[in-house]
Amino acid sequence: MKTLAGKAIIPVTLAVTGFVIVCCLLLYSIIKSDMTGMATLHATSLANVVVKATRYSMLTTDRETLRNIIKDIGEQQDVEHVRIFNKQGVIEFSSDAGEVNRLVDKKTAGCIGCHAGPVPVAKLGAMRQARQFVNGKGREVLAITAPIYNEPECFGASCHFHAPGNKVLGTLDIGLSRKPLRDALATMRGRMVVFTFLILVLTVGGTAALLRRSILTPVRIMTDYCKEMAGGAPDRELPGFEGELEELALSLKTIAGVMKKERKSAPGCADKNGR
Amino acid sequence: MGFGQKEPHLVEAGDELTEKQRLRRESLDKIRFFRLKSVRGAWSVSAFLLVSIGALIDFRFLPSLPEKMKAMLGTPPSALMISGLLVLYTFSAIILVLSKMMRGAEPSGGIVHVIYLAAFYGFYHLDGALDDNFWAVFAAGLTVLGLLCYHNRIRFNALVREEQEILRIMDDDGKGPGGRRAPFGKRHE
Repeated sequence: MKTLAGKAIIPVTLAVTGFVIVCCLLLYSIIKSDMTGMATLHATSLANVVVKATRYSMLTTDRETLRNIIKDIGEQQDVEHVRIFNKQGVIEFSSDAGEVNRLVDKKTAGCIGCHAGPVPVAKLGAMRQARQFVNGKGREVLAITAPIYNEPECFGASCHFHAPGNKVLGTLDIGLSRKPLRDALATMRGRMVVFTFLILVLTVGGTAALLRRSILTPVRIMTDYCKEMAGGAPDRELPGFEGELEELALSLKTIAGVMKKERKSAPGCADKNGR
Repeated sequence: MGFGQKEPHLVEAGDELTEKQRLRRESLDKIRFFRLKSVRGAWSVSAFLLVSIGALIDFRFLPSLPEKMKAMLGTPPSALMISGLLVLYTFSAIILVLSKMMRGAEPSGGIVHVIYLAAFYGFYHLDGALDDNFWAVFAAGLTVLGLLCYHNRIRFNALVREEQEILRIMDDDGKGPGGRRAPFGKRHE
């Protein structure tokens, strides 16, 4: 664009739009990461609650109660799966009855975190206990694996056979739907887009309006005045301007006055309008 | 006047013609050079787009760093820190380009910016956060390189117009509309 308006507005629009978009994308990425971290912490805490809630049933080897607890939790909205498997990786209890007695592959995500080396890791941070995947039903899942540790009550009880040297007796695996998190992120994304759009309209529109009011309109008026001067003495006065433009307008008025005088003093000389 | 000597007015006319032709050729060369320079921003944008395509596929075509090398490099900076630096870089680059535009200074080609942006892609890739931050680096690149392209275009197009004006005045027998000589002394190098 060769016009003054184009030269003034294009760089400002490009710079402001680009910078606001970069900041919004980074902000969205940071918020998404924070929200995923919070969801993981929430899921880890839920997994620990389930382990604590089933502890007594495990101690008393009440398999029926344990099976019912797992089944009831699995029926909760947004809980995709709950399963408990033993140290060998055999699923003992599951919200999906078809999974019971099946073997879990230790090389899959969620297991490899502890079973990567020859000796399994006994403790993991909350973020490393978590994994995200799409399940067989095509739903995005955030799953947490919480180890069930051997406690004095476990190896000290007369009815049990766990050796005191076993650190981990089994693992609870709970999978939560990521739909609520995804929906929250989508809502936030929509609001950020609207907010960004409003900021851009205000900034670019405001800059354009101010430029038009303070620079472009006065320049156009003075350009028209100069054109009239070139065709003969203009028969109208320039309106009042402010700042540097006032000085320019005064100079133009002076030139127009001198030209008018010269034309009057030159006998037989008339402008193209016959004045 | 002796025999064999050229008449003075003929010598002057011939010299003037040669000088005119030289200046004209010089002007045309400059116009060609400025036109080439006015599109050099597009080369940077193309290079950036190529790097971005590589980043979009997570640099799968590159061999992964050996574990020894990774250990030697240490832990990559966190995604939060890289994002902070990206905001700082974008802000500074925009201010730099706008201030150069304001001063009428010569714009840069933009290859340095492509290298900076590729480094941001690289750091995010090493941190495992490229998926979430790809579009932010892409938008930053398009903004900075877009501004540079625009600056290159308006700056060198203005110089082309200036040279074309000089050519036009030369074609009008070395006299401008006001009867003055063309401003040959004020030429851009």
